Amino acid sequence: MQLRKKFTALIKNIRRFTIPPMGIKVFSFVFLLLNIFLIEARPISYSGGSTLMMKSNNMQDSAYYHYSPSYKYSVGIQQIKDKYFNSNYSYLRLTYLLNRRNTKNSQRNLYFQSGLSSDGLDHYFYGTHGDWETRSLYAGFGYKKTMMKILDYTEQYLQIGVAPYIGEYGDLHTWLMLKSKQNDLTNNWDTYPVLKFFKGNALVEFGYSDTSNWDIHFMYRF
Amino acid sequence: MKKINCIFLMMVCITAAAQDHAMHDMEGHSHEGHLHDTMVDGKLLVVNPERFDSFVSTLEGKQVAIISVSGMVCDFCARGIEKTFEKDKAVLKVDVDLSGGKVLIAYSQDKNINFEEIQKKILSNGQNATDIQIIKI
Repeated sequence: MQLRKKFTALIKNIRRFTIPPMGIKVFSFVFLLLNIFLIEARPISYSGGSTLMMKSNNMQDSAYYHYSPSYKYSVGIQQIKDKYFNSNYSYLRLTYLLNRRNTKNSQRNLYFQSGLSSDGLDHYFYGTHGDWETRSLYAGFGYKKTMMKILDYTEQYLQIGVAPYIGEYGDLHTWLMLKSKQNDLTNNWDTYPVLKFFKGNALVEFGYSDTSNWDIHFMYRF
Repeated sequence: MKKINCIFLMMVCITAAAQDHAMHDMEGHSHEGHLHDTMVDGKLLVVNPERFDSFVSTLEGKQVAIISVSGMVCDFCARGIEKTFEKDKAVLKVDVDLSGGKVLIAYSQDKNINFEEIQKKILSNGQNATDIQIIKI
């Protein structure tokens, strides 16, 4: 009930701003672009690097900025528009590299991830995710447990991918992927194709399924 | 209908990307013997010949460290390494060969190149420097 009041108040605040008719289309397009994109790949940057991520799927839209003082960990803030619970909140996030193995042609990573919500100490998440990647093959997984005031739930995913060609540094890189994800709230595994593009400092990923519609990610590193 | 549109969009994107890459390959480069044929410490330089010759073409009188790096699998890794070395005032030029797993770093002739220092810099980016060859141009 309280959430509904907060949501109604938010809508009223938004309506105070007037946007001219043509502006609505432009605003919608920009908003879509900003909310459309991102992936959890490389959740830690190089020492001193920053990363901006945006993500949109059937459950939530989010924007996440993190800074990596070292290649071992990153700290950041994530703003979330939760579509399932009709609420908005932020997470203060920490990601730590538990293990990395570099070989001549591959890299394997295991990360611990956690976040503490702006809602209070009884709303937080923790989990792990990992990946193994060569220049033409990718496999990744993730597990996340979220604790909220009203209920707790888990999310998990598996993702595999192949690059149809191997580009040089600076080229446009393309990945064809298959992602399977599940959470306690919808209680079903959803498997769908994902297309990932990667050029320079930017990465964009598009996934689509009949049940959960678009799953879109964007990442920019600087 | 949504599915068809989605598959069509994906195919267009892939075709465009593949064409972009094919054009890159068609630019063509000479493979004929240059500095990349040089032996260093009894070992032939293991580098991309065109890339190496292009890199050293403006570096007469300088020295180049050829670093073998493991774990360099994507552009983010390459960009991180490039940025790390670009901050070093002693470095004249950097080139990251993602396919070959090599990083080329140009220094002035009087610079004492320290492999441990280079290893630390590459490790700060999350990769490992496994070998070094130094060639005077």
